[in-house]
Amino acid sequence: MSILTNRPSPTSGVRRAPARVGIAAAVAGSLLALSACSTDGEQDAGGTTTLSFFSWDGEPVMAPVIEAFEEQHQDIQIEFSSAPPVQEYISTLQTRISSGTAADVFIMAAENKTNLIEGEFVVPLTGEPFMENIAEFNQQTYGADGEVYAMSLSSWGGGIVYNREHTDAVGMSDPPTDWDAFRDLLADLEDTGVAAFYENLQEIPMSLQALVGGSYESDFTVDQRIFDGETTFEAEWTEPLQTWAALFEDGLMSPDVVGLSGDQILDEFANGRVAMMATGPWSLPTIRETAPDMDFGFMPFPAPAGQEAYLPGAASPGYAINSATDNEEAAKTFLAFLASPEGVQLYNESSSAITTTGDFEPTVDPVLEDVVEPIREGRVYLAQISWPRYEDVLMTTAVASLQQVILGQREPADVATALDEVLEQQS
Amino acid sequence: MSQQAPAPLAVGDRVGPGEGTGTEPRARGRRWDRAAVADRLFLLPVGVVFVVLFLIPVIRSGWWSLTNYNGYTPDYDFVGLANYGRLFSDTAMVSGFVFTLLYTVATTLVVTCLAIPLAVVLNRKFIGRNFVRSAFFFPAIPSIAVLGLVWGFILSPLGSGVINRVIETFGGASVPWLSTPGLARFSVILVGVWSQVGWHAILYLAYLQAIPEELTEVAIIDGANGRQRFFHITLPMLAPAMTVSQLLLLTGGLKVYDLPVTLTGGGPGYSTFTLTQAIIQRGIAQSEFGQASALAVVFMLVIGLIVAAQLAVARRLERRIQ
Repeated sequence: MSILTNRPSPTSGVRRAPARVGIAAAVAGSLLALSACSTDGEQDAGGTTTLSFFSWDGEPVMAPVIEAFEEQHQDIQIEFSSAPPVQEYISTLQTRISSGTAADVFIMAAENKTNLIEGEFVVPLTGEPFMENIAEFNQQTYGADGEVYAMSLSSWGGGIVYNREHTDAVGMSDPPTDWDAFRDLLADLEDTGVAAFYENLQEIPMSLQALVGGSYESDFTVDQRIFDGETTFEAEWTEPLQTWAALFEDGLMSPDVVGLSGDQILDEFANGRVAMMATGPWSLPTIRETAPDMDFGFMPFPAPAGQEAYLPGAASPGYAINSATDNEEAAKTFLAFLASPEGVQLYNESSSAITTTGDFEPTVDPVLEDVVEPIREGRVYLAQISWPRYEDVLMTTAVASLQQVILGQREPADVATALDEVLEQQS
Repeated sequence: MSQQAPAPLAVGDRVGPGEGTGTEPRARGRRWDRAAVADRLFLLPVGVVFVVLFLIPVIRSGWWSLTNYNGYTPDYDFVGLANYGRLFSDTAMVSGFVFTLLYTVATTLVVTCLAIPLAVVLNRKFIGRNFVRSAFFFPAIPSIAVLGLVWGFILSPLGSGVINRVIETFGGASVPWLSTPGLARFSVILVGVWSQVGWHAILYLAYLQAIPEELTEVAIIDGANGRQRFFHITLPMLAPAMTVSQLLLLTGGLKVYDLPVTLTGGGPGYSTFTLTQAIIQRGIAQSEFGQASALAVVFMLVIGLIVAAQLAVARRLERRIQ
């Protein structure tokens, strides 16, 4: 496997040379160093195809999958590279695409799917045999105009992780299932002197995403209709925004969360200084490592009366094939392996992802048992995934406006108005 | 006749006895030419790097700023100056401009005011001097992004934050360092000053050590006290160092990105949002390369103007002081 192979440097054989040769070597070396390196797939004399793959899962997650694939397909060698999500991955892929050096297979994320699809940089995968087991929700997420452009194998969903030491102290036997009971629980926890609930305000907060998802009542056309001008953020978002902002107005969540990062909130929870926090499955290993004796649970976000509970979450990024690749067949072979029960099992084991393919039942952390079904059923909502365009500028505006709401500088309805204004400017 | 004219001397060419009279054989002239060519060839790699990594990107940014290029597709349209017209149309841009200027001015002034006295102290002989110098220089070594993350825990607005814990130990109330706009701006500037003051003190120290001791000794013999020696000898002799230091502080301040991003994420709201953050966000995250390029072009011109003005003023002050 090439990621584990040390290749000799192309300059390792250069001998000492006279001055003039040295000058020439310096010039040639600098030119070589500055020249772009093509990652186009190639076939060597032995008939082995080199397939380049750019991922945002790192080597520890992907290496077992790739090794198993190469063992089964000895005529295809994977040239692996990765960049961490999200911004760094997006910018690296963007640079590689614009310079014509993108990998044969790469990850399509919600943040760049519009540009990749509209720029025709990816091959449609609709109708391919390996897409049969891909969940409908995942196909919809990475589809456009009746075509599917990326193969998403898993979904994620956020919830509330709670410290049973604190929740038992206020008599919580089962997690609350409606919003009012959740507010009562927060009030009881605050009364005991412990901080009740924190969530990350450096992104659109998970509880607000869940409230908006629930208010859409399973109508996933709402965001599209906002973009089409048939309705507005003001009409659709104001009520969830007011429900969410009341947490601060009523002293159920500290405004100090504005100045906290996700890591700091996790640190507060792991050290028992806050009873509950909004997060995803990715935080569980850290909590267990930092606080091995903590007894904690994971519950879905409660919904206001009359609404169905939704999780903040989305289909995970999908594997896409570069439309400029010379190795489309090899790329499809690789995707077929990734979607196979063996490939999905290996990925599930190395990443702990909640996979959603039809022919494999994933092993998930027992703590997450209450959220597995909503995730596999697609009862998840994430605004920046659902918005068809301008995801980042809308998200940036939303986050800044929400922070201003918490600081008392704006009203909840102003957030929706600000989003409508940005959408109008961008359109 | 031109054929008999001596070859021009390249910089660094040695002229031996009897040379340079115009009577040398042509063969020697050709040898000089080869030496000059060799000099230039040695400069070529640097020149190539400059052209490829600076000149071409600047020219391309200038071109993209006149288009609606999104960073992906090679098909884009010429839109004239439309991107420039939209530059400061939104709150984020204006806030970014204001905080970038505030950060630059504040860090330049405060670092200069702290680094010079610190350098004077570090120039004295005392036990543990090398350790103290190293301690002050240390914040310049780690990545500022790492420092931002660490300071995020130190300045946490919760009671568990390091500074707040100290305050509470003495009976005070927690301070929302990063949770209110004013304190968040103050915190970013504070960390910016902390991370740079030691490095600039070492820069001043290098210049201080170049001041001839005779000047100070003569001043002491003439009866000058410490304050007079500082203002009439030390400070004037540090004028060139101040020019260099302030140039670095100004350009570094105007380009600041990683510290606010890691410490506050540009918030609360847009209170610590910077222009560089806006350029990166527009160009990469929002795929508006044209708009981001327009901002980058304007930003580069503004930096150029500010730096040129600073250099002109500093040189003038240097001449006046000296």
